[in-house]
Amino acid sequence: MNARVKDGVRTAGFMAALSIALITCIAALSLVTAERVQRNSALFLQKTVMAVAGETVPDNPAEVAEWFSTSVKSEPPDAPSLYRVYGTDKIRPRALVYKRNAQGLWGNITAVVGFDPARRAFLETRFIEHNETPGLGARISEEWFARQTAGKTGPFKLMPEGTSSPAPTEIDAITGATVTSSAVRDMLNKLLLEIKETRP
Amino acid sequence: MTAIRDWKIFKDNLMTQNPVFVQVLGICSTLAVTNVLKNTLVMCLGLIFVTTLSNLSLSLLRAWIPSRIRMMVEVLIIASLVIIVDICLKAYYPDISRQLGPYVGLIITNCIIMGRAEAVALTSPPRTALIDGISSGIGYSYVLLLIACCRELLGTGGIWGVRLLGQSWINWSIMVMAPGGFFVLAVFIWIVKGWIMRPVTGKAGA
Repeated sequence: MNARVKDGVRTAGFMAALSIALITCIAALSLVTAERVQRNSALFLQKTVMAVAGETVPDNPAEVAEWFSTSVKSEPPDAPSLYRVYGTDKIRPRALVYKRNAQGLWGNITAVVGFDPARRAFLETRFIEHNETPGLGARISEEWFARQTAGKTGPFKLMPEGTSSPAPTEIDAITGATVTSSAVRDMLNKLLLEIKETRP
Repeated sequence: MTAIRDWKIFKDNLMTQNPVFVQVLGICSTLAVTNVLKNTLVMCLGLIFVTTLSNLSLSLLRAWIPSRIRMMVEVLIIASLVIIVDICLKAYYPDISRQLGPYVGLIITNCIIMGRAEAVALTSPPRTALIDGISSGIGYSYVLLLIACCRELLGTGGIWGVRLLGQSWINWSIMVMAPGGFFVLAVFIWIVKGWIMRPVTGKAGA
C-alpha cells in the first residue's frame, strides 16, 4: 500500500512539475510576443477594411496605416464597430464598413461588411476570425464568398452553392455548411435592418 | 561505428522507412496543406522542429518518466512545442498562420511525432533520438514539398507565385482542391514503391 501511494505521488508530482515548467515557457513566450500579435491583428483589420472599401491594399504596412488614419473614422473610438471611409472630398463617407459578429457552428465569427450609402447596396463581406470546419464552414474565407454580396441590396436568402444568382437578394450557401451559411445570412439581414433604422 | 549507425537511421527514415510513403503516416496534413508550396514549407519546418525537439526531450527525460503516464507526458511535450510554433507564426508570419489555420494545431495529432516518440525516443539515447527525429521530419518534408510543387504547378501554372507554364496553360483546378492531393500522393507512392524501391524489396524478399 505504502509503495503504491509513493508511486502515485511520484507520478502526480512528475506530471505537475512538467506541466508547470512547460506552461511557464509558453506563458513567457506569449507575453514577449503579445504586442506583436496585437499589432498584426490590428493591421489585418485595417487591410480588410481597405479591401472591403474597394481600395487596392499595398504591401507596405506603413502605407496601410497612413491610409487608415487619413481616410477612416472609427466609431465608437474605443471599441469600433463602424468604420466610415471617406473619399477625396472628406465630407460624406463613400463607404460604411461594419464589424459584426455571428454565431457559427463552432463559435464566434467576426465579419467585416461593406455598405455603399449612395447606392444603398452592400460591398464585399470578409471574415477576419472564425473557428469553422476546414473544408466546409471555413470556406467563408474564400474569395467568391466574400465577393457575392457586392452590389446587392438584400435582405438575403440562401441559394444552393453554384447558383451564382445575379438577383439582389440572393447569395450562395456553402454545401455542407448550412449552420455557417445561415449564420452569415442572419448577420447580414440583421445589419441591413439596423442600417435601415439608422439611415432611413 | 556510431556514425555508421546514425547514417543508417538517417537514410532509412528518408527512403526505406519513410514516414509518408512507406509507413503511410501524417497523411491528413499531406493532403491538406500541399496545395500551396509556401504553406507546405512552413508546415514542414514546424514538423521538423516539433519531431526533433520532442524526440530529444523525451529521450532526455526517459529515465524519469513513469511508464503508465508516458503517453500523457508525450502529448504534453508535443502540444507545448506545437503551441510554441503557433505563437511564433502568429507573431512573425501572420499571413501564413492565417492560411494554415487549424493545421498548425493539428501537428499535435500527426502520427509521425507520437510514433517516433513511442518507438524511438523512449528507448534510445538522446543522440539517436535526435537523429531519428530530424530524419523523420526531413523524410516527411521532402515528400510533401515534391507533392506541393506538382500540385501548385499544375493547379496554378507556376511555383511560389512565379508563372512557369505560359499563358496558354489552363489551370487544373482540381489539383489545388482536396482530390488533387489524393491523386498526386497515390501517383507518388506508385512511382516510388513500384519503380524506385522495387529492387530493394526484391533483395529483402530473396
